[in-house]
Amino acid sequence: MSEPRRIDDTTWEIPSSSRGDMRVPARIFADDEILGDIAGDHSLEQLQNVATLPGIVGAAIAMPDIHQGYGFPVGGVAATELPDGVVSPGGVGYDINCGVRLLALPLTEPELGARREALVHEISRTVPARAGRSGGRSLDGVSLDAVLGEGPRALPDAGGGDVERTESEGRLVGADASAVSERAKARGRDQLGTMGSGNHFVELQIVESVLDEQTATVFGLTESQLTVLIHSGSRGLGHQVCTDFVKLMDARLPSYRIHLPDRQLACAPASSPEGRQYLAAMAAAANFAWANRQAIADGVRRAVGKVLGSDAAAATRQVYDVAHNVAKVEVHDGVRVCVHRKGATRAFPADSDDIPLAYRDVGQPVFVPGSMGTASFVLAGEPGSLERAFGSTCHGAGRRLSRTAARKQVGGAELRRELESRGIVVRCPSPKGLAEEAPIAYKDVDRVVRVVEQAGLARRVARLRPIGVVKG
Amino acid sequence: MYRLVDHTAELEVEIEAESAEGVLVEALRAFAELLGTGDGEAVERRLVVSAADLPALLGAWLEELVYLAETEAFVPDSADLSLSGLELSALLHGRLGEPRPLVKAVTLHRLRLHAENGVWRGRVVLDV
Repeated sequence: MSEPRRIDDTTWEIPSSSRGDMRVPARIFADDEILGDIAGDHSLEQLQNVATLPGIVGAAIAMPDIHQGYGFPVGGVAATELPDGVVSPGGVGYDINCGVRLLALPLTEPELGARREALVHEISRTVPARAGRSGGRSLDGVSLDAVLGEGPRALPDAGGGDVERTESEGRLVGADASAVSERAKARGRDQLGTMGSGNHFVELQIVESVLDEQTATVFGLTESQLTVLIHSGSRGLGHQVCTDFVKLMDARLPSYRIHLPDRQLACAPASSPEGRQYLAAMAAAANFAWANRQAIADGVRRAVGKVLGSDAAAATRQVYDVAHNVAKVEVHDGVRVCVHRKGATRAFPADSDDIPLAYRDVGQPVFVPGSMGTASFVLAGEPGSLERAFGSTCHGAGRRLSRTAARKQVGGAELRRELESRGIVVRCPSPKGLAEEAPIAYKDVDRVVRVVEQAGLARRVARLRPIGVVKG
Repeated sequence: MYRLVDHTAELEVEIEAESAEGVLVEALRAFAELLGTGDGEAVERRLVVSAADLPALLGAWLEELVYLAETEAFVPDSADLSLSGLELSALLHGRLGEPRPLVKAVTLHRLRLHAENGVWRGRVVLDV
C-alpha cells in the first residue's frame, strides 16, 4: 500500500494512481500521532477500496477518528454523483442513523448537588437497554409504518421544539415503509425507546468549559450547566434493513458489471430499482432512529421530572440531534451527490439553509462523544467542511483497541471503581460490556477535535465532562 | 473447532471442521457462546436456508440465528443439519432466555467457506 503524502499539517492523501482500481484519491485528516495509530490497522486499505466505487467523486475521505471496519472504514465519507453513481448500504452501516442528541437542563452542577445518583439511577430505569420484560416503548396508538414515514412527528408527545432542532427535522424525504421488510419490522417493533448495547449510552454531562462564548450562548449552553447526551440508533430494524440490501445488491453486482475488492462494499446505481428501494428503506430506518432518540429523550424528561421536578422537566431543551451513519442526497459545488457518512457527522457552516434558523448565524451543532468517562465536545460546522469534506466532520474518539484487548487491560469491576472514584455514577448491568468500552480502548478525543478544527471542518464550542453513565 | 479473533471494532470467527456441515455447526457453537446461556423453556425451531454460494450460506445461517435471538430470545444449543447443494435444512435445539444483545449483523467482509487440503475452513466477521 502507498504511504500517505502530507498536503498540510492535518491533511494527507494517497493518490488515485497508487492502485489501478482507485477512481479518486484517498484523503485523510490526521496529525502525525493519529496517522501512526491508523497505520496500525486496515483503515487505509479499506479507504482505498472505497475509492474504487463507481461514481465516487472528489476523494474517499477519512476523519481523524477513523478505524478499521468491514468494507468501509468507520469514520469515512464518500460522495457519489447522481443519478447513476452507486449507493452502498455498507457505506451507511448496519446501525442506520446511529447518532447523538444533546439535551440541556435548566440547572448547574452545584444546583443538582446530591441528587446526581438518584437522577442517573432513574434514567437507567426509564431508558432500558433493550426490549423485553423491562423495556421497549409500546407502539399503542402509533403505527410502526407512521414512525417509518414521519419519524418523531408520529409520536404523540413529540413537541416542545425538539423536531425543529433535529437534523433534517427528523424526517428524511423519500422514506417508504413498504420498502422495509417484515423481518426488519419484527426486529424493531418493541425497540422504540431502547438504547441498545455496545457503545450506546445515555450520559449525564457538565459543561466543563466554554471555548466559543458567542456560539455557546446561541446553543443555550453555559459553564457548569447540566446536560444529557444520548447515543443510539435504529436498533434491530436498521440492522435488518442493511442486511437485506447488502445481500440483494451482492447478488445483483454481475448484472451491473460492478467489480469490487470487498464483497461488503456491495452497491447498485442509486437510480436502479435496488438503489431506489434501499434509499427509501434506509430513510425509513433513519426516521425510526430519530423517533427512537425522541422516545429516549422522553424517558430522560420523565426521570428529570421525578427527581428534579416537573418545572425542570418542562424546561429541559433539546440543543440538537445529529446522525453519524447515513446516506443523504445533497448538492455540493453544483453537483447532486449521495453523501455516505459512516461514522462521520454533517457539519454545515453558518448561512446554510439546512440548519435551524436559530443556529444559522453560527453553524450547525455537532456532538463528538469521547470514550466513556472522558470528555465530549460540542462543535459548530465551519466552511471548510463544505470545501474539503462534503460538509462533514468526525463523530467520536474512534476505537484503537479491540474489545478483547480492552478487557485484557482492565476489568469491569476495576473500571467501575475507578470511574466512581472520579465522581462518575455508573449504571451498567454487564461488567464485561463496561470493560469493552473502557477509555483506554479509544483515541484521545481532544486530539481528534483539534485536528478537525485545524483542518477547518468544525470549531470547538464547549467541552463536556461526564458525571453519570448509563449503558446497556 | 472455532476461535474468536481480535478485530478493532468487530468480531471475527475462524472455524475448522471436517465438512461444510461441521463448519456450520461450529458457527452455531461460536454464536451460542456470544449469546450466553438460555435458562428458560427448552424449544426447537426448524429452518431452511439457501444462498448463492457456500460463504453466503454460512452468513445466511448465522443471520437466522441473530434473528431468532432478537425476536424470540432463542439461545441455540445444537442442531441437526442436512446440507443439499446450497440449501440447508436444520432442526435447532435450544432454550428461551435473555441472550446478550451483542451481535447486530453478519457481514460479507472476509466471508469464507471452502475446503483446503482436506479441511473445511470458515470465516465470518460479525458487527457487534
